[in-house]
Amino acid sequence: MAELTANQLPAVAHDDHGHMSEEEHNNNMKLGVWLYLASEIVIFSIMIVGYIILRINEEDVVAQAHEQLGVGLVTANTFVLLASSFFMVMGLRAMQAGNRPGMLRWIGLTALGGIVFLCGQYIEYSELAHLGIVLGFDTASEWSTFGMRFYAPTFFHGAHVFVGVIWALEVMRRGAKGRYDHNPIGIEMFGLYWHFVDVVWIMLFTLIYLV
Amino acid sequence: MTEATHHAGEHHSNTVRLLGREITVEGGVYTVVFGALAVLTVIEVLSAEFLKGAIHDSPESAAALQAIKAVLLLGIAIIKSSLVIWFYMHLRSEKPLIAIVILLPLLIAGLSIMYLLAIPPSGYGI
Repeated sequence: MAELTANQLPAVAHDDHGHMSEEEHNNNMKLGVWLYLASEIVIFSIMIVGYIILRINEEDVVAQAHEQLGVGLVTANTFVLLASSFFMVMGLRAMQAGNRPGMLRWIGLTALGGIVFLCGQYIEYSELAHLGIVLGFDTASEWSTFGMRFYAPTFFHGAHVFVGVIWALEVMRRGAKGRYDHNPIGIEMFGLYWHFVDVVWIMLFTLIYLV
Repeated sequence: MTEATHHAGEHHSNTVRLLGREITVEGGVYTVVFGALAVLTVIEVLSAEFLKGAIHDSPESAAALQAIKAVLLLGIAIIKSSLVIWFYMHLRSEKPLIAIVILLPLLIAGLSIMYLLAIPPSGYGI
């Protein structure tokens, strides 16, 4: 039987030294990110259930809070985050098509979307603090319970957006050096994280601001 | 060919089949999904505001309207989340193992939430 050259071997095979193929490596990297996201689901679920219990038991407080919150700014922020998810997937698509400048442009827009979202969240928090809706250590305040249940999930989500912006900038730095020209798995992994952050916001926006 | 580039082929077309018609749009399915997400968000916000007004105007049916509002809005939110996971996170082209990885914690979280919600506000008085 004639010997196979490296190019003729199946893509999933290990080489003579037991090293993984690129496809196997990519699949493992993606599985790792999915497992991490699975753990994040549990953490966010705890915060969400805390809010739901408050929503059921303290209907009047939540109704008053809804009057204060308003939906204008947060709806605009939601559109920004949805758009950034679209920019993200377009960035991956550009890189998969070998368009490095296109990828850098789309990922740059993704980071910009995240920064705009965080600015919107800062404005919202400032307005709420001005209205007396604070974190909730002051147990005498009528907003103490609501403040804690509101700020915990939204701030934790905001922290994820912040980390995502840093990650996007790092993806751009590496991408500019050609790191993803032959294997865009690094962009795909960042995309999974960023879209997950978007999915969490979709649920928080509905549960906290609308229902 | 890597898996990433394999996926690239199926996602690079600008032509999308939508409601039995083929449409061509820059960005293909991703643009269509973004349009759907935007439209659903507008419907969601308008429905919430409309039902909030209706609850305020007729307090006698507030409980029923609040239940309708919760089911409707959460239904839309689940559709939006599913669109992002299915198309943007490419779950539709991943191995079934990935779906299990993401559905299992969702199931556990869902059961835990139902258990916690079943506890009365005053606790069990132990």
